[in-house]
Parts: sequence; C-alpha cells; structure tokens
Amino acid sequence: MKLRRIIFGGGAFFLILVKFTLDVIGKNIELGGLGITLLREFMTLGAFVLLFLASETDVARRDQSPVKKLGFLLLATMVLILLTGVISAVSIEGFDTKDFALLPLDYMTIFAASLLSVLLGFYATVVVRVLRDLITRARKRSSRRNYYIYLGLVFATAGSTLMMKPLESGLVNTVLFVLATVVATINAFRLPWIVYLTKREKVFGLIYSFVLFLCFTWIDVLFLQGSNIGNFLTYYSYPLREFVQLTIIGANIYFGMAFISTLFHLPTADAFERKRSEVTSLSTLSKLVTQALDFKELIDTVTSMTMEVCEASGCWLEVIYSSDEETPLGPTGAKVIRTATQPSYLVQVAGTKNITQEEIDELVPTRVLSLRDEVLRGRKSIVVDNIGADPRITTMGKARRHGGSIAIVPLLSHVGLIGILYATKETTYGFGKEDLEMISAFADQASIALENSRLIKKSIERERLLREMLVAQEMQRKLLPQDVPASPALELDAVSTPAFEVGGDYYDFMQIDPTTIGIVVGDVSGKGVSAAFYMSEVKGIFQALGRMYTSPREFMMKANEALASSIDKHSFVSLIYALVDTSTGTLTLSRAGHCPMLHVFDGGVRYVRPNGIGLGLTQGELFDTAIEEESIQLSDGDVCLFYTDGLTEARHGTDEFGYERLKGLTQRIRSKAASAIKEEIIESVKDFVEDQVAHDDLTVVVLKWHGNGSPKSSHISNVEEAQ
Amino acid sequence: MSDFNIELRERDAVDVLELKGYLDAHTAPKLEEAFQSLLGSSRYNIVVNCRDLSYISSAGLGVFMAFIEDVRNNRGDIKLTNMSPKVYNVFDLLGFPLLYEILNDEQEAVNRFVHTTD
Repeated sequence: MKLRRIIFGGGAFFLILVKFTLDVIGKNIELGGLGITLLREFMTLGAFVLLFLASETDVARRDQSPVKKLGFLLLATMVLILLTGVISAVSIEGFDTKDFALLPLDYMTIFAASLLSVLLGFYATVVVRVLRDLITRARKRSSRRNYYIYLGLVFATAGSTLMMKPLESGLVNTVLFVLATVVATINAFRLPWIVYLTKREKVFGLIYSFVLFLCFTWIDVLFLQGSNIGNFLTYYSYPLREFVQLTIIGANIYFGMAFISTLFHLPTADAFERKRSEVTSLSTLSKLVTQALDFKELIDTVTSMTMEVCEASGCWLEVIYSSDEETPLGPTGAKVIRTATQPSYLVQVAGTKNITQEEIDELVPTRVLSLRDEVLRGRKSIVVDNIGADPRITTMGKARRHGGSIAIVPLLSHVGLIGILYATKETTYGFGKEDLEMISAFADQASIALENSRLIKKSIERERLLREMLVAQEMQRKLLPQDVPASPALELDAVSTPAFEVGGDYYDFMQIDPTTIGIVVGDVSGKGVSAAFYMSEVKGIFQALGRMYTSPREFMMKANEALASSIDKHSFVSLIYALVDTSTGTLTLSRAGHCPMLHVFDGGVRYVRPNGIGLGLTQGELFDTAIEEESIQLSDGDVCLFYTDGLTEARHGTDEFGYERLKGLTQRIRSKAASAIKEEIIESVKDFVEDQVAHDDLTVVVLKWHGNGSPKSSHISNVEEAQ
Repeated sequence: MSDFNIELRERDAVDVLELKGYLDAHTAPKLEEAFQSLLGSSRYNIVVNCRDLSYISSAGLGVFMAFIEDVRNNRGDIKLTNMSPKVYNVFDLLGFPLLYEILNDEQEAVNRFVHTTD
C-alpha cells in the first residue's frame, strides 16, 4: 500500500518534471507539431491520474461525517488560497500573446505557472472527491449516475480543448461547458446528508458551506478576470484549466445550495433530532425486549430513555400484579405496596431515576386515594400539568410546593395491567402530546418485556417442578420391590405404570417366613402427588404390619386403623392382600375394597372376591365386621392375577376393557410363563385403548403356581414351550 | 372428554341430585360444589340419583366420603339410587353398600327420609 503510493507519487513527480523541462525548452526553441502538444497534455493527464491514485486513501474516508469533510475541504481551500497568494506575489514578467498562444517571458513565469497549475489541479481532484462523497451519500443509483455524468462532461469539456490553442474558443467546447454547469446545478440538489445532521453539526455545516461558497466564488472571479492565475493554467494545459474551472464552478454551486438548504433545515433541527432519538431509543428498546433476561437492566433502560427523550427530571416504573399471584415480579427486596382502594393489586417500585422513595410517596401516597388508584381503576394515561394546583395530589410536601408536572402511563398486556410508568418535570405544563405518545410507546415496549420476563419466570418454575416430579417418580419407583421373592413353587412377575409422573398404585412382596410369601396390591384414590404420598404411607404400613399379622384379615383391620386416622376424609385406599403357603399351596386372601383376584385353574376361571370395605373409608367396628378372608387351594399350573382398576377400566371411547375380557384373555394364555402372561396382558390393554392416553395408573401382578416339590412334568414343559 | 352434569330437584322436602355422565378426578369438583351449597343452606336430606351416571372413579367416590360425616352429624343422610350394574359394581367393590343406603328407586329413597323425619 505504502509502496504503491510512493511509486504513484514518484511517477507523478517525474512526469511533472519532464513536462516542466519541455516547457523550459519550448521557451527557447519552437517545439511545433501536434505530437509534442499531445505528449505534453498526456503527461499532465498522467501526472494527475497518478496523484489522484496516490492520495485516494488519505482524502476520501467515505464514512466520515459530512461536516468533517466540509471542514477538511475548507482547510484545503485556505491552504490553496494562501499558496496562490504567495505565488502571485513573486515578480514575474508574465506572458506575451501571439496567435492565440501564450508565450512566457521568463523562466520564473514558467516555474510559477507549473507550481500553481499542479497545486490547483491537485486541489481540483480533492474537490471532485469530496463532491462525490457528498452527492452519492444517499447510495441511490440516480445520484451516482448524475455524478458520473457530470464528471464525464467535465472530462469531455477538457478533452475538447485538446486541439485548441490556449486563447481560442470553440462551439463544441462551449456547449459542453454549459452542459457540465447544468448537470452540476442538478447535482447541487443532492443534499441528503444535511437532514441527518445533529443541530450542532448543522450550525457548523452552515458556516463551512457559506465560507466555501465565498472561496469558490472568489476563485471563479479570479478565472474570469483573466488574471495571471487563469493565464498560468491556460499556458500550462488548456484541458487542465477547463477541468479545474468546471470543478470549482460545480463546487461553488453545490456549496451555495448546501448553505441555503442547511439554513432552511436549521429551524426544524431540534424536532428532527428529537424524533431521531425517539426512533433510536425505541429500536434499542425493542432489541432489548427480545433478549430481556435481565429484568433490572430492562427497567433501567426504559426509565433512562424516558428521562432522555422527554427531558424529564425524574422517572420511575412500578410493576403491578394481582394479589393472588404467587411470584412477585419486581426486583428481590423491593417493598410491596398495597393501595388503599385497590386491594386486589400489589405494587412494587421496580426502578427509579433521579427521584427518591419519599418523593414518590408524596406524589402517589398509598394511604389515600391517589393518581395511582386512578390509573389502576381506569387504565388510562394521566397528565397533571400543574402539581401545585391539582386537587388529586393531596400532600403538602416538597413536590407540591415546587410545582411541576407529571405524566403517568399504564403498562398493559393481554393479562391486564402489569405496570405503571411515571415521569416528572420541574416545569408546569411540561408534557405535551408528543411526550405522552413517546412515554406510551416506551410503556408498550416495557409491557412486552415485562410479560416476557413473567413468562420466562414461569417456565423456569415449571422446569423446576418438572425436575422435582422426575425425582418423585424415581423415588416412587424405588418404593416398588426391586426383586421378586424366589421359590421353586411359584413364579411371580409384576409391572406398574403411573398415568402421570407419579401415581397411587402400589404392589409389594414379602417373604414372611421360609414358606410364606405375602403379595399386596393397592390403589390410592385420586391420582398424582397426593396419591403418591399415601402410597408411600401404605408401603410403610405393609412393611411394618406384614410381619406382625399372619392373617390377611387381621392385617387389614390393623392397616385400616393405622390409615384411617391419618388419611384425608375424601381419600381412601383399596388393598388386596394374599398370603401363599409355598409348602401347602394354600392362598389366603383378604380384600379391602380392591378389585377381586382372578384365579385361573384347570378347567375354569373365577374372581375371588371376599367382602371388605376400602381402607380409610370407615373406622372401627363396621370395617372389622365387614372384612372377610378366603382361602383357596392352588394346583399346578394355576394362575392368580392381582391388578388395579386401571386394567379393567382401560377405555377405548366409552368401551371398557372389563372383567369378562380379562377373564377370557388370562384363561387363553394361562399355560405361559408368569412374565409372558404379564406382557400379553399389558400388550392387549395397549391394543385395546389404541392411541388414547392412559387415564389411570395400571398395575398387574401375576402369580404362577408350579406346585410343591413334585411338579408335573407336563406343566413344566408347557412353561418352557411358552418361553 | 369427560362430560358431567348435575341436576338439582326437590322432592317432598328432600334434595335430589341427578348425576349424568362421567364422574372422575376432573369432574369431581362439580359434585363437591353441589354438596357444599346444599350443606351451606343446611340441607342434609340428600338423594343422589345415578340413573345417567355412566362412570365413577375413585376420586368421584371420594366426594361422597368427604361429606357423609357432616351430613350424618346433622341427622341427615346421603342415599344413592338407580345405579347401573356397572356403576354399582364400583361402589360394591369398595364396600359402599355397607356405608351407604343404595336403593333401586328414587321415590323409595325419598320416602325413607319422610318416614324418619315424621
């Protein structure tokens, strides 16, 4: 980059030097001929192209503020004028006019002409670039096009003088010159950058463009007068003169227009600036809204922007939530306010700017009816133009003495009123229509953010609950037996699936003594968490009483006693308890309101259903007299099925799985192994309900009796076949 | 999914609740409300007609348990009538026939109240 610039700069310097040498030689010897003239012009052109390239990055920082560009140009112009003055002051002989040509009278003239021409030429490239950046700032295709048309015309005009003698004038040249001036005038209306300047920048822009306009006019006048400067350039290179002159004229028109335009924009600068800051604030705010995880930061932004845009002296935001809502939204530790007249709302001051809690209490006290109550009730914005004179502000504190004005805007969401935004000013009549509109716009954004934050809070809460439910589920799973008592006389298998995360179904086994196995299945009324708690209580009761009472009936009586005293009056537990004597094959059963046991035997199937009332439904005698005990003798290959009503009441539409279906199914598959019977029952329930969600917990316990000591070989082989 | 309705009538100074549809954990609060409002206005002689009750879950049964004590302490009763065999089976499994009077006919149940109050 740097190397390139050195090469370009060096090249330009070399060409200028050669041209200068040619000019010096030309003074003494007539260097006639078209070739020499063209060579000189192309050297000039080459020199300026190289100069342009060498200085491109320095001059043209495109994104620079337009006013800075103007300032830069003004500086360059001042330097130019100074140097021009210095060069003009050097005493020279001047030119002799002969046959439309200019002949320098001494070497000093040649030197001054060359120096000034290079200076002016370079200056013109700078002007062209600044104009380009200003005109094409709008990045519209038409402005770019117009600019290049202008540039094209400038070069065409310059080119048209190529074959002309310095003091000649031609028709083509004149027409092109006029056209270029016209296009320059059109381009002068491309002033999009003025609108977006701040007021301060506009003032500077006004001064700069005015001074620039004066400078350019002065330079124009110099040209017109045919002074030495004009002659210098004309002598040096007629095309260059045309280029410089047209550039200066274009800039002159452009900055004249810029001056006038800026002047007209100045009165609206304040309003425009304000609108712009409103738009910027709103867009910042809405960006923040979408990522508003930090509630505090959001409140801070809302209040500080309200302050800034309305030029308020104080501002605060309150969050409102209904008193039955579980989680307060405000920052932790913020005082919760209850108003005098609207007890269903709770109020928290979420963020303040330049105002103290005391002042807030003065303006909207909680003990008496205040403006806050009015907003809570009416959900409409309120503007008080003069605090000192408004009857709704009743305190006699500092706020009232000082007067001023206040604007109050509700924050509304689809759930209702969720907050209030307040802004105060020290002057009366401080809030105009635009201010209120702006505060309302902020309030709208803030309410979206508040709502988001509320939802996020809720979803975090839900997430937490879900995790806890998973823990509960895991805990409950552990309450169910992890392994099944092993005995050569019987096979046991069981499954339990809750309808929700946790359920109220329960089953358990217990090896009471070497030849007695206890099997229990229960169902707590209701579902979900409460059922799960009672289920764990039932587990405790079973574990405690199971070993103490060897009769199922007795066990049930004690279990009822234990449970009835602790259970909620509309909850109850149905339980079925069987003791199997593995040495004799006797199964003793008691049923406390639970589904009957299904007994499948060789040649038949029946529900075993001794009487009994559900646990916890009634206390004492009534339960004890009702509960029965029934014993059956098991034979090889018998299947006993314990289950909960989730099985028989599994529904498909209004159709229930039912007792009959269960009976038939179990009888059909009785020869299979216990685990296979269990699987098939679950499968057929799934098939039955199809894609309907289970609405109850489902438990199945399968007991398969293999007999005592001397199993019949046929039954054993049946089992093996099934597996 | 579960449709459940309660109709309240008065018959010979006895309040008759007629239940329709599915009574489960979701719909049980409706019945609870109905009992609460009866008890709130000191009405303790209640007949529950289950003619159109197509299903009752354990949560539904729990509602009866929640109020029976209060009702009986006020020398009233809750009597159940007109159950379909399927619904009766649910009550029966839990031993409800031992705890409640379950009758075939609504009028019969109402009459029992009339006799006891006479």
